Amino acid sequence: MIICPNCQYKNLDGTVFCVECGIQLSGIQPIVTQNISADNRPFPPMEKRKTAPFPEDLDTWASLHLLDSGQILPLGDRTEFTLGRVSEAQPIMPDIDLTPYQAYANGVSRLHAVLKREGKRVFVMDLGSSNGTYLNGKRLTPNVDQTLNHGDMLALGKLKIQILLKKS
Amino acid sequence: MVDKPDYYAILGVTRKASLDEIKRAYFEAAQRLHPDKNKAFGETEVFLEVQQAYETLANPVRRKKYDATLPPEVLPSLPFKYNVYYSRPNLVRMKEEQMLYVLLEIAPEKKEDKTPAPPLNVSLVLDRSTSMKDEKMDMLKNAAIKVMRNLRPQDIFSVVTFSDRAEVLIPASYPYDKKKLESQIQMLQPSGATEIFQGLQAGFNEIERNISQERIDHIILLTDGHTYGDEQQCITLAEEAAAQGIGISAMGIGKEWNDVFLDTLASRTGGNSRYISRSGDIQNFLVEKFETFARTLADVVLETKRTPGAEMAYAFRTQPETGPLPLEESIHLGPVLQDSALNILFEYQIEPSLTELDRVSLLHGHLKMSIAGLPTKVPPIAIEFSREVKNEAGGEPPPNIIIQSLGKLTLYRMQERAHVEVSQGQYELAAQHMKQLATSLLAQGERSLARTALIEAENIAKMQSFSEEGSKEIKYGTRALIMPQEKELPV
Repeated sequence: MIICPNCQYKNLDGTVFCVECGIQLSGIQPIVTQNISADNRPFPPMEKRKTAPFPEDLDTWASLHLLDSGQILPLGDRTEFTLGRVSEAQPIMPDIDLTPYQAYANGVSRLHAVLKREGKRVFVMDLGSSNGTYLNGKRLTPNVDQTLNHGDMLALGKLKIQILLKKS
Repeated sequence: MVDKPDYYAILGVTRKASLDEIKRAYFEAAQRLHPDKNKAFGETEVFLEVQQAYETLANPVRRKKYDATLPPEVLPSLPFKYNVYYSRPNLVRMKEEQMLYVLLEIAPEKKEDKTPAPPLNVSLVLDRSTSMKDEKMDMLKNAAIKVMRNLRPQDIFSVVTFSDRAEVLIPASYPYDKKKLESQIQMLQPSGATEIFQGLQAGFNEIERNISQERIDHIILLTDGHTYGDEQQCITLAEEAAAQGIGISAMGIGKEWNDVFLDTLASRTGGNSRYISRSGDIQNFLVEKFETFARTLADVVLETKRTPGAEMAYAFRTQPETGPLPLEESIHLGPVLQDSALNILFEYQIEPSLTELDRVSLLHGHLKMSIAGLPTKVPPIAIEFSREVKNEAGGEPPPNIIIQSLGKLTLYRMQERAHVEVSQGQYELAAQHMKQLATSLLAQGERSLARTALIEAENIAKMQSFSEEGSKEIKYGTRALIMPQEKELPV
């Protein structure tokens, strides 16, 4: 199997151009799925992550808890962040690039949504994404602010993110 | 010289043909040539020869005797040679399915002097339905007159017009009196609906009168509309045409015609469909088609049996006259031109179980050629695609010729897939893929096609369908990219 470096699509071995996004698969030589045994793994096995206590030590007001991978992305100290995914040959750069989290396969748009802080309140706004933004299962009207609370479940397309806000 | 006829050539099989192959070839020929069914002059005589050939070759004792009388097989010196390129040096033993791309190149031998253009037997089948009125009709007439004027005395030409019924405007004949033919074409008046089968059948009948191995027997269909309810009849007729070596090309004018149908129709016979967006271009397309006839060396048919576990998943003619090919046991590959090779790209999906073997045979078959200007059949050429299986993938990258055509073909297939998704109601996915295509097109500098792809992505998202015009522009636009650009590359 060859995983496309651009869109993460799983192509059959021997594929020359990604079936999903059309880019020439890098290396060109087919990559054979390797079996890695526990002994020669380059890194020690990772500890299992617990569900998300807020990273208090960081200078940040919110974090994104990516439910599929269990990873937590602390946001910086700006008051506004756009979420989306970087795609080749397009000059759109979201502040948070979700490409490593299967953004494409989950239907995340290039510019999908924005998170904002105004004083103590935090908002989310859908930026007219193709597959929509869902807050606790309800689809948001594009370009309208919605208040966010700690623990809210956000879905960008099918990419599920739990919002963790700093207690203040 | 040999006094006895070459029975193998008459049946169109190799000297190594099995009894089964001989039987099959005989039944095929008999169905077509039997005196109760045959149509053309002289076919009864041919049938008797076929009969004699079969009686000799189907009997092992007689066949042996006959073989002894044959001079050693002289492989005909063909005016071309074929090459097979593979995307990988070998297959890999593994537990997953894997892909292999095979490019078959049938290239003309380089020659100093040009081969004379073969004689034609061409029928123009023209849509004269009401929608063809005014400018379109004028352009169509001019185009038909233009190609008619270029005909040589040895060509046979006919014009059929159709709406909901068909008329033979010019019966198949040599173009003695071009003035008269011109005035006949000028009389064409638009009226009625579009029923393609009527026209196709009439064109087929005109071709059949003079069908011959050495001529280019071809129907050119020009239409601007959808046909309703007679699609299957048309396909059946196309299959019959293909069996007799008659090609069909289709040209769609404007946006309201069924490209999928015309592609299916033409591809059965080794022809293709073209999109004429402006009626002012009708003449260019038609003239170009006749120029292609003049440069045709041979038409090639690939006869093959399926290999279980190694499915031919896709076949596409990348040049000349790009177009998809049907995945059948007998595939009309298309023409080899004097100055351009016939290239076909095949995609194979190989099941893991097959990789337990040391060598996988993907295709085992014959290339059958009918050489333009040559009145007799040439014996078929055996052809095989096969790859060794190894534990490791070889390190070599795919040959350039595969990368080049596959890269462009991938774009074409992205739009093809978006169409499938729309038809299955997966609109979001389809829109996404069209955006993806737009990005790839932009990366290749195809700005205007990229823009069209983006607009179509929006159309799909909003209206859950492609626009007729945009969809054709992208389909035929990406198809045109596949043809190698004929510019000199700096060394």
